[in-house]
Amino acid sequence: MKFEKRRANSNAAIPTASLSDIIFILLLFFMVTTTLREVDVLVQYKLPEAKAIEKIENKRLVTYLWIGRDERIQLNDAIVKLEEIQDIMYNKRVQLPQVIVSLRIDKNSSMGIVTDVQQKLRRADARRINYSTLLAP
Amino acid sequence: MVKIKKKKRPDPEIPTSSMSDISFLLLLFFLVSTVIDVDTGIGLTLPEYIPLEQAEVVPLSKDRLAALLINENGDVLLNGEIISIPQIQKNLIERISSKIGQPKNKKLVVSVKVDRKTNYNLYIMALDQVKGAYFEVRETYSRTKYGKKVGELDEKETTELRDEIPIIISIAEPEQIKK
Repeated sequence: MKFEKRRANSNAAIPTASLSDIIFILLLFFMVTTTLREVDVLVQYKLPEAKAIEKIENKRLVTYLWIGRDERIQLNDAIVKLEEIQDIMYNKRVQLPQVIVSLRIDKNSSMGIVTDVQQKLRRADARRINYSTLLAP
Repeated sequence: MVKIKKKKRPDPEIPTSSMSDISFLLLLFFLVSTVIDVDTGIGLTLPEYIPLEQAEVVPLSKDRLAALLINENGDVLLNGEIISIPQIQKNLIERISSKIGQPKNKKLVVSVKVDRKTNYNLYIMALDQVKGAYFEVRETYSRTKYGKKVGELDEKETTELRDEIPIIISIAEPEQIKK
């Protein structure tokens, strides 16, 4: 006696047409939800321009310091007083000995405040600095 | 009337299975090629902090020193002579080049001194000139000696170059420092 195998006639195919939509939605979701760790800059500043500039290769090492046009100082994500820089930077330097301080200083600042900050950095032994500038056209 | 049976055509379909691959590739391409906000600037290493009592004064011979002074009015002095900022580079190139081949303790030291009221932009312009001079000399040296650009040198040659033309910029302390 012959048994007929019961088998569906349809060929089984997974509908793949919507796969791309799903991936696009995934992509969009990530694009919308991701925030690049960025700091709110609380001071106003305009960078000077220079020609002989170099790139900071290792972003992981960088600590940012802003000096705004009203001479307020922001270190990474908070406004700090001049006196606080030394302690904060010293702790940072202990954790990360190769720290580079990127100085984003308003171009109309006077050198007085810049020197003061540099003295603090020297005392904190965070001596690798980078004057952030734009590429002059 | 005879009914003509319509020929059954297969449903027209766009092959969509590879669409996801395409979008993945697209996503990957953008992920790889995106560069977010590159930091550029003038790099410098500050001098070590030494308390005033322990500080020693090391005499520096006149021909090693290029003293750059920028006062609050924006006047620039190079070794006591008034100079305009765009001239600094040319002036220094000669001096740096003349030190090639000399021992390490004879290399040029550029000292930049500013006043507390000096404009920061001027300072950066001057520093830019100094750096530019060094880069220029390094580039020329690397071309004549190795026949390559600075960026194409291997590690050993780069160290050699750095030893031959070290960038020594000294940031002098201004007269009064706020304690």
